[in-house]
Amino acid sequence: MMLAFDSSLFIQRMVDGLGEGSIYAMLALSIVVVFRATGQLNFAQGEIGLFGAFIVSTLTLSDVPIALAILIAMVVGAVLAATIERVVIRPIEHRNPGAVVVASIGLFLGINQLHSMIWGPNARSLPSVFPNDADDFFRLFGAPVRWERFGIFLVLLVLLALLWVLFNKTKIGLAMRAVANNQESAGLAGIRVGGILMIGWGLAAAISVLAASLLAPQGGLSASLMFGPFLIASAAATLGGLDSPIGAVVGGLALGLIKAIIIGYVGFLGGDMVFTVSLMIILVVLLWRPGGLFGTVTVERV
Amino acid sequence: MSTEALLTATGLTAGYGQVQVLQNIDFHVGRGEIVVILGANGAGKTTTMRALSGMIGRRGSVMFDGTEMVNAKPDAILRAGISQVPQGRGTFTDLSVEDNLMTGAYSRKGDVSEDLERWFDAFPRLRERRTQRAGGLSGGEQQMLAIARAMMSRPTLLLCDEPSLGLAPLITQELFRILAQASRDTGMSLLIVEQNANLALALADRAYVLETGTIVAQGTGAELLADDTIKRAYLGVG
Repeated sequence: MMLAFDSSLFIQRMVDGLGEGSIYAMLALSIVVVFRATGQLNFAQGEIGLFGAFIVSTLTLSDVPIALAILIAMVVGAVLAATIERVVIRPIEHRNPGAVVVASIGLFLGINQLHSMIWGPNARSLPSVFPNDADDFFRLFGAPVRWERFGIFLVLLVLLALLWVLFNKTKIGLAMRAVANNQESAGLAGIRVGGILMIGWGLAAAISVLAASLLAPQGGLSASLMFGPFLIASAAATLGGLDSPIGAVVGGLALGLIKAIIIGYVGFLGGDMVFTVSLMIILVVLLWRPGGLFGTVTVERV
Repeated sequence: MSTEALLTATGLTAGYGQVQVLQNIDFHVGRGEIVVILGANGAGKTTTMRALSGMIGRRGSVMFDGTEMVNAKPDAILRAGISQVPQGRGTFTDLSVEDNLMTGAYSRKGDVSEDLERWFDAFPRLRERRTQRAGGLSGGEQQMLAIARAMMSRPTLLLCDEPSLGLAPLITQELFRILAQASRDTGMSLLIVEQNANLALALADRAYVLETGTIVAQGTGAELLADDTIKRAYLGVG
């Protein structure tokens, strides 16, 4: 059976893919920010973001406007993550490199349990920052583009620009890159290494909170909301290069598109196929191009 | 050379955890003076440097410019005017040459482009490679970068931890010449720890000999060069 190629449907699927990919890209950015500021990987990143999204839901139930609620939750998430860095991560990070990974997996499980304990087992709904009624769309080449998808994509671009400025044009960004590269030398340069580590974790947490709060209106707010997106975001960060914000965004958008294509055109594989693809990407990148597409492969002459 | 002490360490004791490396050592560095501490591997040279810049726990007294520094944190010590060129250069390998230099100026406020140009003039090789990743520099270039980076904070005392390590003698000589020049130009004091006695003693106003965490000899460069024991141990002659 021949199927006519529906270009309007194709555009719509690509836009959906980019919208969903923007969320993956934001989460991947938070992974990259921690890595770039500290050299560490934090597997609890998604759960910290979800914790913030639950706070957003509590605030909106008390009639706090959604945008303000997200900002407050980003600050709360940042303070929480900075505290975790200081109290949990710092005492163990010099023991061995695996210790931080194991601790962050522990945090992942712990914070996830906390969600159910505080907010109960039932899924909640979260209002969207953007207009998201059935008729809130505009047309691009005849294809309907939902304002919510488009808005999330714009937020991602603004976030990327801000991070680029932070890392490349500010003193604190230079300090973050220095600390990630060589803590001893950073200390000798008068950089307060501990403070920078806390800022790195806090900033990444704020980004995760933003990502989770933008995702929740579509998926529904529940304790398992971030499992899938975080796995995909990990693949996105690996694909783009763990120390490259641009790479995280390209990787995240690429995985969003891959998911849209799988669901749209090879639907018999099932949408969960994107997880298999994600794991394959992680494996293949680590084998053939450990620095990712845009990342730094550390060169060192001795 | 002024004899007024800029840095005076008294009863300095330091180490790592339970292991004490430095035992009660006394030394001083005058204003504008170039002082060398000679010692073999494991004598405690790097520990001395790390104790002075506040990177490890230490006891005793470190008076710097009239202030007690023995409990100060690394950033406070740097701001007070002590900067260190660490052993093995401590290059930020993933950062560009220019960004490496900018980290050196982290503790300063305001425009530092004048200093940047000054050190690019001193080391033209670094200017050619200013946008390149520092990890790709040769050993000599990385040592130049480490010195220039430490100088970006405009220190009154520069600590150099074995600057000759892994470098050809000619390059070491050139680096020492530039360091001595910077000291003459700005009145900066230099404290260099070295294994390579020949070059270091030629540069030094005064020197100490460190053995297993204790100072066993001191004197002017000429006095130590005349000492048979020291010649045998550090100069490979006599």
